[in-house]
Amino acid sequence: MNPADLPTQLHLDGALRGDALLAAVRHIAQGPLAAQVEAIDRTGYYPCAELQQLAAVGAMSAHLDSTAGPADYGLAIRAMAEASRVCGATGFMMWCQAVCGLYLQQSGNLALVGDVLERHASGAGMGGTALSNPMKSYAQIESLLLKATPVEGGYLVNGTLPWVSNLGPDHYCGAIAAVVEADGNTSQREVMFLLRCDAPGVELRECPSFSAMEGTGTYALRLKDHFIGTAEIMADPTRTFIARIRAAFVMLQCGMAVGITQGAIDSMWAVEAQLGHVNQFLEDRPDALQAELDALTARVMQLAQTPFDTSTDFFIDVLDARAHGAELCLRAAQSALMHQGARGYLMSSDVQRRVRESHFVAIVTPAIKHLRKEIARLSIEEMPA
Amino acid sequence: MTAAAPAPAHPQFSASEFALRAASQALRDAFAGDADGAVATPWQSYICNACGYIYNEADGDPDGGLPPGTRLADIPDDWACPLCGVTKADFSPYEAPTLEALRAQASAAPAASIRVRGEPGVVIVGAGRAGWQLAETLRQHSATLPVTLVTACAGDRYDKPLLSVAMARQLDPLALVSETGRDAAQRLGLTLLAHTHAVRICADTRQLRTTRGVLRYGHLVLAHGARAALPPGLSPKMCWRINHLDAYQRLRQRLGSQPKDVLIIGAGLIGSELANDLALGGHRITLLDTAAEPLARWHDQKAGPQLLDAWKDLSIRFEGGLQVQQVERVGLRYRVTTTSGRRFAADEVVVAAGLLPPNRLAQGAGLAWANGIAVDSTTLQTSVSGIHALGDCISIDGQCSRYIEPIARQARTLAAAILGQPVTPYEHRAAVVRVKTTTRPMTLH
Repeated sequence: MNPADLPTQLHLDGALRGDALLAAVRHIAQGPLAAQVEAIDRTGYYPCAELQQLAAVGAMSAHLDSTAGPADYGLAIRAMAEASRVCGATGFMMWCQAVCGLYLQQSGNLALVGDVLERHASGAGMGGTALSNPMKSYAQIESLLLKATPVEGGYLVNGTLPWVSNLGPDHYCGAIAAVVEADGNTSQREVMFLLRCDAPGVELRECPSFSAMEGTGTYALRLKDHFIGTAEIMADPTRTFIARIRAAFVMLQCGMAVGITQGAIDSMWAVEAQLGHVNQFLEDRPDALQAELDALTARVMQLAQTPFDTSTDFFIDVLDARAHGAELCLRAAQSALMHQGARGYLMSSDVQRRVRESHFVAIVTPAIKHLRKEIARLSIEEMPA
Repeated sequence: MTAAAPAPAHPQFSASEFALRAASQALRDAFAGDADGAVATPWQSYICNACGYIYNEADGDPDGGLPPGTRLADIPDDWACPLCGVTKADFSPYEAPTLEALRAQASAAPAASIRVRGEPGVVIVGAGRAGWQLAETLRQHSATLPVTLVTACAGDRYDKPLLSVAMARQLDPLALVSETGRDAAQRLGLTLLAHTHAVRICADTRQLRTTRGVLRYGHLVLAHGARAALPPGLSPKMCWRINHLDAYQRLRQRLGSQPKDVLIIGAGLIGSELANDLALGGHRITLLDTAAEPLARWHDQKAGPQLLDAWKDLSIRFEGGLQVQQVERVGLRYRVTTTSGRRFAADEVVVAAGLLPPNRLAQGAGLAWANGIAVDSTTLQTSVSGIHALGDCISIDGQCSRYIEPIARQARTLAAAILGQPVTPYEHRAAVVRVKTTTRPMTLH
């Protein structure tokens, strides 16, 4: 066997694992990240340096097989939760970075699993995911916005994607386009590729302001005759690839929900000594929410043992855990505001910011309504058409 | 009927907003005329397929450099949707629906909404005979207990045994419904969540997670029945399984009025009854089973030979001792291949290879399982407090029972337990089976 044919081992320097990683993430989250949270929320500061610090300790690569150890989805989710507990927007960008790494590694494309993935995992390269539209397309909620026309050696891609996060002029993302046949008709086939923001035919466009997510490097991406060749292809066709990674993709988002919920519970306890005598009249008290969160976290950790289980029942379970996370996050953030009262309503308070972050967890793809629709679709007994 | 003020066309707008809108419409109309005063095409609206932003030609997009009155055709290709940044290529013509139309559309949605306050009451999963029977029994004894019925189907009431005699009795499959779910729910004063899937039980918080939200329960009753089993290697896209009215209606629709070749895999009770009924309906039936005769479970009562004798004049070919290995599509028909290499051709393939209760809900809640949801033989309580089960999904001492007769007795036991009344213990006894093969009905023990 030719050694060059062997899959490249992802080499990671300085990446931590286990409790050491969680301690390091907590240290960054409560230190440098906490210092920037207000700027991220209010002035749209993109926390590139803070994200790179998180990446350097291995916070966005724990779910990848590497020299640091085998893929550990539970650890990746808990790391994301530690950051989300302080800043939901940063937790979201960690998810973007993490799933982009997942695409790169799972592509098996030698042009992507070497230097590109190594730079990505270390934080030297940063990127996101433009799969909101394709995921809704696979769930039969909307149609694909990018079209790829086959040409010599690759495809020319055209179209515009709204609202892709963790982007910047030198960033990139995983994207999917519908393949257009020679006769101009859209085929039933798609192609997935690495889309570099600085490549010819790619334009980043500013979006209107986003609630709680202004600092997430979110842009519209406009593609005009953008060429992709074999060096960019992640999957062609995509169906099997998506079937393999979809549970991992959704599961990782649970880190945001768990962390934001924990942050909300923290802020309820913070006022318990002074306000417990009135807060006892509220529903969703911190101890009850904590018990529900702990049960959900245990469920997610169990699912994280087998992220690449492709069975329908497993995927339904993952979708429901993600939905439960979003619902709990909404209730906890809302209740935290009720617990804190006026002090939580100040624009400088993390409590009101967390209400907006919880809304984001509930509406980002897959939103609660998408999750329920997809669970319903997958639950129906299949019969001859 | 009381006299009501005429409903405003757009009740969400105030009168002053209406005046403003009328004025701006006048302006638009003025713009819409061309220089010669001839009336041009009315202004059109277009919706962004990506984000839902509506571009109105009359209003234009002044911030994006499009003055009022800019036609879609005149928008430059590099213009961007002000909300999400896509170009005009991703816009489609849009006509605002009336509020009445929207209300009609929303009311056609199948589900009632979930109660979030008040006594949680009883939540029943499944609206087959077991679920409805329990709801009826509960209502007979309590007019006020909140009852919610969660079902993946429409919740319409029908007699499932009729599915295997409908052709012989010349029943229209669409007319098998004796009462719609909506009517039954109204009559019984309960909440029916139709087309709603129960996803997970959180026993510690007494909540049922569904595809229409989270339900609290005081008592949870699983009555979701069993699913028709599909032998490994067979595709659900090619094989019918008839355990619900909906699938039966679709099979009948597919068969149409012309005689078809139907291959049925499994010659147990359901497979034999279906074979009998579809043959009486004029179809040509091939019936396969691993056993040497149909109804082999009742071999000692000579059920098989009696049945074959009764079928002498029907177009039913029984082939025993065969194990199906593969079903493939060949043109518009199917080819069925057995492990011994025999091949059969058919227009439709029906699998009747037994029933299996789905286990995801039970397993997620940690309920004891033994071929079905294990329940106490006298109380029908599962291994987890507050959760009960009845009907086709349960097993008692590892044995399942898939018959109609026990259901009413199970419902009486459960209703009494739930309402805190003296409980008559459920008594598990062997069922008498009536084979509705109309050419020669049989009673088996």
